[in-house]
Amino acid sequence: MDFSFSPDQQLLKNSARAFLDEHMKPATVRLLWDDPRGESDTLWKEMAQLGWLGLSLPEAYGGSALGMVETAVLLEEIGRAACPGPYWPTALAATAIERAGSDAQKKRWLSAVATGDARATIALLDADLDWNPEAMTTRAEKSGSGFTLSGTKQFVPWAHVADVLLVPAKTTDGLTLFLVDPSAAGLTLEPAPVMDLAARLTAVKLEKVAVPADGVLGGPGQAGPLLAELLRRGAVGAAAEMLGAARRCLDMAVEYAKVREQFGQPIGSFQAIRHKCAEMLLEVENSHSAVYYAAWALDAGAEDAALAASVAKAYVGDAARRVCGEAIQVHGGIGFTWEYDLHLYFKRAKALEPLYGDGDYHRELIVRRVAG
Amino acid sequence: MDLNYSAEDREFRDNTRRWLEANVPTQELATLEERKAWHRKLYEAGYVGMLWPREFGGWGASPMQQAIVQDEMARVSAPPPINGLGIGFIGPTIIVHGTDWQKQRYLKKMLTAEEIWCQLYSEPNAGSDLASLRTRAEDQGDHFLVNGQKIWTSSGPISDWGILLARTDSKVAKHKGISCFLLHMRQPGVEVRPLRQITGSSLFSEVFMTNARAEKRDLIGKLNQGWEIAQTTLGWERGANSLGRVTRYAIAFTQLVRAAKELKRGGRPLFDDPVVRAKLGRIYADLEVQRYAGLRVLSALLKSDSPGAASSITKLSYTEFEKRYYELALEILGHRGQLISAREEFEEVDTSSGEPGTWATAFLWSRAGTIYSGSSEIQKNIIGERVLGLPKEVRADRLKA
Ligand SMILES: Cc1cc2nc3c(=O)[nH]c(=O)nc-3n(C[C@H](O)[C@H](O)[C@H](O)COP(=O)(O)OP(=O)(O)OC[C@H]3O[C@@H](n4cnc5c(N)ncnc54)[C@H](O)[C@@H]3O)c2cc1C
Repeated sequence: MDFSFSPDQQLLKNSARAFLDEHMKPATVRLLWDDPRGESDTLWKEMAQLGWLGLSLPEAYGGSALGMVETAVLLEEIGRAACPGPYWPTALAATAIERAGSDAQKKRWLSAVATGDARATIALLDADLDWNPEAMTTRAEKSGSGFTLSGTKQFVPWAHVADVLLVPAKTTDGLTLFLVDPSAAGLTLEPAPVMDLAARLTAVKLEKVAVPADGVLGGPGQAGPLLAELLRRGAVGAAAEMLGAARRCLDMAVEYAKVREQFGQPIGSFQAIRHKCAEMLLEVENSHSAVYYAAWALDAGAEDAALAASVAKAYVGDAARRVCGEAIQVHGGIGFTWEYDLHLYFKRAKALEPLYGDGDYHRELIVRRVAG
Repeated sequence: MDLNYSAEDREFRDNTRRWLEANVPTQELATLEERKAWHRKLYEAGYVGMLWPREFGGWGASPMQQAIVQDEMARVSAPPPINGLGIGFIGPTIIVHGTDWQKQRYLKKMLTAEEIWCQLYSEPNAGSDLASLRTRAEDQGDHFLVNGQKIWTSSGPISDWGILLARTDSKVAKHKGISCFLLHMRQPGVEVRPLRQITGSSLFSEVFMTNARAEKRDLIGKLNQGWEIAQTTLGWERGANSLGRVTRYAIAFTQLVRAAKELKRGGRPLFDDPVVRAKLGRIYADLEVQRYAGLRVLSALLKSDSPGAASSITKLSYTEFEKRYYELALEILGHRGQLISAREEFEEVDTSSGEPGTWATAFLWSRAGTIYSGSSEIQKNIIGERVLGLPKEVRADRLKA
């Protein structure tokens, strides 16, 4: 029983922290707000060189074959920096291709992801904003040797920069996952302007979009279990990122409480502020336990892995929202300004909250799992 | 990171489970003598005093093994051992600060529950601010004369001995004039009056000391060193019950779900009501997080033996959780949850109270955890000052000192 990071994991954490502190300062995040792509290609290439993009991919494709724990370590730091970009959607899509893809599909995409030459995303949310894949209305009709896809996918992260979209749709065989070329005829992308200007979400409209036979990922009708697995991984990754944002806000609140003086003393000496900070720390530490337990459980194939993923997403979503919000409260007026950086993390945590299943969805999954 | 139990841990768990299945009493232990007998049986099997060194009658086991035993006991709702305060922290205090004579005289009998111990710290005017205590101990040459009053003393009426903090110098700053003694409870100068708790039982008491005797040889450490002693030995056991506690919550959850499936509102089971399901999902996530956090504490304990001020986070986390948990349970159960002699399916909800319980007892008892052993507010002060490094508050007693 060892809940602490291994020396390698600690090293990864430290180097990610140092790299992002240098290359993704709050000012850099702000510059990307106005950028049409919203991400930095230079940074992406550097992340590839650091081995981040292939972190969990097999060595044969230029990856490091590391697990969800290492991925969570990285995502926590990415969240801490509110670093914008398609890191997690790409890594998740690559996992899907690695799990279910044909040799040709893997050859086409995995090395390109690891080297930073390809970005990808998964369109998990359908028109109804229901995270249950069974509820989707997007259809794929057989046509010739391939399929045509029609429907709408909502709030797809970073679809506008993706080289390939993973799109689930219903065929006569059931849930099927497709690799879709974003420039295909009939496919339109509509950016959804959300309050976190660094979180890019896009609606993907599909009107009879043709997908060739080799664009099916895994067998037709076989996507159900894979989608459930992706949602679980996605949830744990998002929880890790929210944890990072929350810890950043806690650190900022504590630092501020030490130096800001009112009534002749630092505000951190007032219990109302000190106790708030203690409660924030409690939620951050519990979130740490939840994220890394869930990540470990996925790696170990533990029998409670699915439960732990839902627990992490439901718990950390609530905790991060509260912690980031309370950090604003500790700061007073300055915390409410556009110039002060707190809202970068506050908004990032909020943008991640509904992704890969919101709290209500995961709480329902928990009840089904433990109580029938 | 590796959260698997080792092969030895698993084997130890299997053996413990087998032993418990064969030995757990089938009938409720009605008398103190029966509980003592069960305690001794647990001790002889190696399940009490597990963390104590062997030379003092303990078992030199690891915190993990102790946590496993607590977990397995919770699983079968085994009656807990007694003398928890003694074994959990008074004994360790004697081991760390006591004389050889004290170790010889007291430790073994404490482990076997031949002598029951209590903690004589809190006073009517010294609770969170323990250092302001007023009970006096005057040096009479061969002994100290003790006068004063203690309050909230758990197990007072059944105790043979108590660990006592008393003032031995009133001219110095409040923390500096306190000494630590072992006090014989069965003497004419000591009067114990049971106090009734909100649960209806009388697990704690008031203790009046009128010219009571504390022998010279029963002074722990040096004169006026009592405050440091009390500080350094709090928390030997923290984390040991991390698994057992959560297992008890999980058993209660199963019972809650069963009840929610049975109780109906508007013709349909409560369990089918999305509002109820959302509540259950939220509290179960919370419960699981307590378990993960408990494993994390345990893992830290296995690496070094002092979690330090961070143990305040653990204590704050689970005691506050416990209140949320039973509040939610009673919200779902309505009046049924408030029955004090419940139908069978609502019984067995035993919290760390050691009382065979109902939902009502568990709910009431959950109010205690955030008061004793340093209230939630005190824990937050500690976390703020010692973990986060926030400035100390301006306090009237600090201005004076
Ligand atoms: C079930 C139970 C069993 C107990 N068993 C024992 C025992 O065996 N032996 C023993 O010695 N004692 C025992 N106690 C006593 C316990 O340790 C005290 O109740 C506790 O220390 C609080 O002291 P108090 O009751 O005087 O409350 P107070 O200290 O008067 O506190 C009242 C309120 O003020 C708050 N408060 C106090 N100081 C501060 C501060 N600096 N900042 C912010 N808030 C503050 C507290 O958090 C609390 O909410 C037991 C208590 C309970 C409930």
